[in-house]
Amino acid sequence: MTDKTVKVSIRNLYKIFGEDPAGALAEVRSGTTKAELLDRSNHVLGLDDINVDMNEGEITVIMGLSGSGKSTLIRHLNRLIEPTAGEVLVNGEDILGWNETRLRQLRRETMSMVFQKFALLPHRTVLENAGMPLATRGVAQEDCDAEARKWLERVGLSGQDEQYPHQLSGGMQQRVGIARALASNSDIMLMDEAFSALDPLIRTDMQDLLLELQAELHKTIIFITHDLDEALKLADHLVILKDGAVVQQGEPQAILLNPSDPYIEEFVADINRARVLRVRSIMSRDAPAGEIAGEVAPADNLESVIAKAGGNVGLSYRVVRGGETLGYVSMAEIMRALVPRRAREAA
Amino acid sequence: MATYDGLFDTLGLRDWCDGGASDGPMSMADLLAKTQGDDKAGATSLRELPFPSLDALHDACGAIPQSRDLTSGLEAGFLGIRDALRVVVDPLTQPLSWALEGMLNVMTGTPWWIMVPILMLITWAVSRSWKIVGFVALVIAGLAFVDHYEVAMQTLAIIFVCAFICVLIGVPIGIAMSRSDRLQNIVTPILDMLQTLPPFVYLIPLIFLFSVTEPKLYGIAVILYAIVPVVRLTNLGIRLVDPDVIEAADAFGMTKRQKLFGVQIPLALPNIMAGVNQTIMMSLAMVVIASMVSAPGLGILVLRGIRNLELGTGLVAGLGIVVLAIALDRVTKASLARIDASQAKR
Repeated sequence: MTDKTVKVSIRNLYKIFGEDPAGALAEVRSGTTKAELLDRSNHVLGLDDINVDMNEGEITVIMGLSGSGKSTLIRHLNRLIEPTAGEVLVNGEDILGWNETRLRQLRRETMSMVFQKFALLPHRTVLENAGMPLATRGVAQEDCDAEARKWLERVGLSGQDEQYPHQLSGGMQQRVGIARALASNSDIMLMDEAFSALDPLIRTDMQDLLLELQAELHKTIIFITHDLDEALKLADHLVILKDGAVVQQGEPQAILLNPSDPYIEEFVADINRARVLRVRSIMSRDAPAGEIAGEVAPADNLESVIAKAGGNVGLSYRVVRGGETLGYVSMAEIMRALVPRRAREAA
Repeated sequence: MATYDGLFDTLGLRDWCDGGASDGPMSMADLLAKTQGDDKAGATSLRELPFPSLDALHDACGAIPQSRDLTSGLEAGFLGIRDALRVVVDPLTQPLSWALEGMLNVMTGTPWWIMVPILMLITWAVSRSWKIVGFVALVIAGLAFVDHYEVAMQTLAIIFVCAFICVLIGVPIGIAMSRSDRLQNIVTPILDMLQTLPPFVYLIPLIFLFSVTEPKLYGIAVILYAIVPVVRLTNLGIRLVDPDVIEAADAFGMTKRQKLFGVQIPLALPNIMAGVNQTIMMSLAMVVIASMVSAPGLGILVLRGIRNLELGTGLVAGLGIVVLAIALDRVTKASLARIDASQAKR
């Protein structure tokens, strides 16, 4: 984890919507809250002092409810929205100082985007849509088509080349959206609630597809969602936004075990912890007293360990990866981890 | 003497009023007042108090101009700049005259057995429907059968040229309007004015500007009248393009030009075509009125019907205009439907 390079970095980012953002910014910096600002001067504090580092080759998930500013935030990364103050560093360079030409180059070559409502061009075929980023760059038609065909096949959409977007289902349209983003061959992919408009089953499929692609391609993905299950499934790094401010960020398992804030506690209360938590997050170094019943992998989730134990709470397991013993986990610890902290304190 | 004498007296403007006054030609009202004698003037009651209009104030104070001075002033002003205006506008609009003359010559000069198949072919190319091609053939045959072929061709020629120029000028204006709110705020009232001004009104200055024998006289009148819908609907169509799609185009780094030709115009095309349809229909309406300023075609016959009270001539020509209108409408609607169908309904 420590040797990861930071690909995209957001520093002290503010966004204020209203007539005089600069004036409102001074107020916010001197401690005015979002509600007070709206009341007093009719300005909306969209983003409040955001600081996030996004590592290369990881999926950073930004999660929050509607109106928390997550879609606003992701649009700052390719400057579809201009910030009021702050820095956005891509590969160490502040893109806010860039002129139109350089910005266009960034959007064409470094960052691609997948949209909640797919945003495909309705008058172009699937193939033309997937090849659009390359065609925009001025790549010859047959090269565009070849590249587009390759990625369409990769996302499981071969043979639909000549269809129009409206002839496809939502899930298939979003596959085109993903193929389009991949065809641009950019290092960074921005995904704005990419799966929110899909049915639950198709959504799971698409999440699996994304993880599978990511295992192969190692892109830097910034993923926006309002669905905690989705966030926990995809995230290497989870950022939770509330009212335009970061409430907590870090490894998802750590957030789940140690919510820093009643808001997040409430959020994680409804999660199936047995399926989300993994052995590595709760294992201990010291061997427990008593018999070791077997071996488990660090990436196994608690549900699978409980199934293995057959519900017997007296057992302990050794955590092993590649023949090396990393630690131990007892069923008692597992049971404790299944109870949210708040419920534990109440008891 | 007059009602408002007192006003100017109290304001102390009497000297100024009388200083500039001259006993110019009297108006009819003055003459009438003179013949009836002055005895009534002093005894105006509040009931008969005239509105302080220019004429009423002029009665009291000779330095204030009469209303007729306003209209004659406008006329004098227009005549004053006419020559300068003509130097600029005349060469600019000369191609319009050539286009109209050329098109009229081509469409009436070509033998009917070549012209009619060409029109069928155009209809097929635009509408891709045999039903409509058949209908158009029927309309032209019907008009030709009652010996209205040549006038119908003249009307069509003028419509083709004017509608084409409307699209040529109107679409870029619409695009420019869609990109700038300020331009939209400037152009919209002009379009409103063009649309509501009675068409006869812009014939008047045009007659002063050009000679009645020039085709561009009615060409300009038709274009001014018919250009409005294509401008409006181009602007509207581009503004209605799904903002999500525009955002995607931005996110993938499209230039403004790529966005315009690759996304905005194709997606606005159904609306633009609806504008073209309206423009063609309005050209037809105007081309009839423009017959008063020498535009050839079916309108001449309608005009003759009115002037000479030839009921039959007027009615036949009028019905001819109706069937021509239906044919034009069907053809453009069919092409519109074709574009709609080839485009996503989302």
